[in-house]
Amino acid sequence: MSTQMPEVEVLTDFAVREHRSLWLDAWRRLKASRTAMLGLVVVAVFLLSAVGAHFFWNYNAKTDLDYSSKLLPPNLVSTAEKPGVHIFGTDKLGRDIFTRVVHGGWNSLRVGLVAVSISLIIGCLLGLFAGFFESFDMNLKEKLVLMCGLGLVLGLFPAWIARQWYQTLLFGGLGAASVILEKKLAYVKLRPVMFAAAGALLGGLSGLLLAPLVGLVCAVVGLLIGLLLNKPVNGKAFSSITMRVMDILLSFPSYLLAIAIVAFLGPGLEKGMIAIGVVGIPVYARLARSAVLSVSQKEYVLASQSVGEGHGRILFKHVLPNILSPIIVQATMGLASAILSAAALGFLGLGAIPPEPEWGAMLGDSYKFLSSGAWWAVLFPGLAIVFSVLGFNLLGDGLRDALDPKMRIN
Amino acid sequence: MEPLMRISELHTRFHTQDGTVNAVNGISYAMQPGEVLGVVGESGCGKSVHALSILRLIQIPPGEIDAREIWFGGRDLLKLNDGDIRKVRGREIAMVFQDPMSSLNPVYTVGFQISEALMLHKNMNKQQARERALELLNLVGIPEARKRLDNYPHQFSGGMRQRAMIAMALSCEPKLLIADEPTTALDVTIQAQIIELVVRLQQELGMAVMWITHDLGIVAEMAENINVMYAGFIIERGKAHEIYHQTRHPYTLGLLGSLPRIDEAPGTKLISIPGLPPDLIGLPQGCPFFARCAFREERCRLERPVLEEAGSTGHTVACWRWQEIDAETLRKAVGGAQ
Repeated sequence: MSTQMPEVEVLTDFAVREHRSLWLDAWRRLKASRTAMLGLVVVAVFLLSAVGAHFFWNYNAKTDLDYSSKLLPPNLVSTAEKPGVHIFGTDKLGRDIFTRVVHGGWNSLRVGLVAVSISLIIGCLLGLFAGFFESFDMNLKEKLVLMCGLGLVLGLFPAWIARQWYQTLLFGGLGAASVILEKKLAYVKLRPVMFAAAGALLGGLSGLLLAPLVGLVCAVVGLLIGLLLNKPVNGKAFSSITMRVMDILLSFPSYLLAIAIVAFLGPGLEKGMIAIGVVGIPVYARLARSAVLSVSQKEYVLASQSVGEGHGRILFKHVLPNILSPIIVQATMGLASAILSAAALGFLGLGAIPPEPEWGAMLGDSYKFLSSGAWWAVLFPGLAIVFSVLGFNLLGDGLRDALDPKMRIN
Repeated sequence: MEPLMRISELHTRFHTQDGTVNAVNGISYAMQPGEVLGVVGESGCGKSVHALSILRLIQIPPGEIDAREIWFGGRDLLKLNDGDIRKVRGREIAMVFQDPMSSLNPVYTVGFQISEALMLHKNMNKQQARERALELLNLVGIPEARKRLDNYPHQFSGGMRQRAMIAMALSCEPKLLIADEPTTALDVTIQAQIIELVVRLQQELGMAVMWITHDLGIVAEMAENINVMYAGFIIERGKAHEIYHQTRHPYTLGLLGSLPRIDEAPGTKLISIPGLPPDLIGLPQGCPFFARCAFREERCRLERPVLEEAGSTGHTVACWRWQEIDAETLRKAVGGAQ
């Protein structure tokens, strides 16, 4: 009797239980995983302390300087011999390390969020479009937008050389013309020559208004752009070009690329965010593309098409929600690696500008003092990096399991 | 009477790396308003592709749709621009797909998915569309429709999902419903219910239905006319009773002979058609059924037969020897007579 009761209960529970949404269901499974909850707690502590410190704990890094208390070991209670409470000790300028670690959290959080947002938004959009237009051919409007945009972007280059910004518009127009005239010129053999000549003329003539040499350079650049714009790309070509560019980005070691971008933009936390964000783009683009490719083959996409929905609606209403879970997982993991990258840039002196508190920069400032026994100046910022990265990774792992549809049976 | 739809010389090809796949090879027929048309044939004979071609749901490239015209509601569907063909989809021609498990989007409620087309085509607001979705769910016989409106597809059974798909397809009161093997994935009981439902709705709403299936038994009772397709050709077309009782094409005969019949003497062997359908890349020059036909002669290898009237009006068959063919000779020819 007693052995049968629970079974019956489970069954009735199944029959009458209220339906749960996907996210509620995922949250329930996330709660069941201990490591994921540990990660969540670590992340929550990190977020709360960083946000709290930024808004409620005034700290001015520029005036924080006290040579009389430099390199003091951790001290929990203020006594006559050891005045001042420094639970993490002080650094070479006598700054309280605890204060700086907590405030450094805000910077790490900012870097993580901004860098991940950059790579998430750009990468996902590229991947979405690349994957989608591999299965659905572009219509005229989409081609027009793409080629016009391509013309505008490529036109920036001669425009920058000649400092004549209207040149971008000329090349944008050339891109649009390529789409509009596609059918008429389909059997014209000299089409590449025509477009190259048109590009050379557009660039050359407007450059000539300034100087003969500028005109010549612009004509050569314009010729190349004309050649590129000669044939309007279809969906497949767009996808493969985009993904090859992503492959090129991915083939650079990520830190090297980030350092190169920072070297180009100049140091600073904001520049670091951009660099880390750009480095992350291909990961999201590839992930989104592969997910879109598989979702696009589903019958409900065909069904929504057969109801008469347009490309935009199908892509953003039917495809996007179905590829979100891998992207959310990747973004959580991406936060961890963005924090790590920011610390690495800071350590090399390419991230936050001193005296701004930043974990990597703090490590870089203090590791020289390890030999004189000041372990605390290195240990605590290092631990902060370790724990925040670990927290995000555990949470990401948990989310991956929680959002995996195959786990839903349990 | 002006036909509802007239297809003439529809070709659909797919340009692949291995060559051009000729999926549909110049089929022509007309459908009257309110007609129920059965399209039968084995897998890969172009039934679904021809239906998708009507709505231009074939991806181009690699696909290519080439026809003299696909006339529907006073205009040629092939000449419409992207925006206009989208207005035809769902509003004038709706489609129900084979697999109810994957044809509903798992992240939206069933009610939302039904109301989507209404908001798109009928300019209804959310509340109106929801009310209409509720009516539609009631119409297709889903119990407790009001509760079910907010359910997700995974909370529906297969048969209920197919009902929901039908509700979705009917939402804008289309003139033509294309049902692409809607019962193949369901068990026989549910299959019968769905067929009954569609027949009832067809009579109530007066729409035309194109029922695509490989099961001759299903269309026997519901269809007025039947197109038998083979390798992208219509090889026989006629009224349902003509197809079943005055069968003229050896392929149709073979299909019918392969079905067990309740009125046959026990122990009668079923006829099977030997071989496989031809490769759609590089079709044979003559009759596509040549290699598998028990009645073939030299002419069949060299010349492709065209549809010609066989006996009664409207019954057409693409076979050189249709006059000599009946079930008995086929039995003798394949040696299945017992």
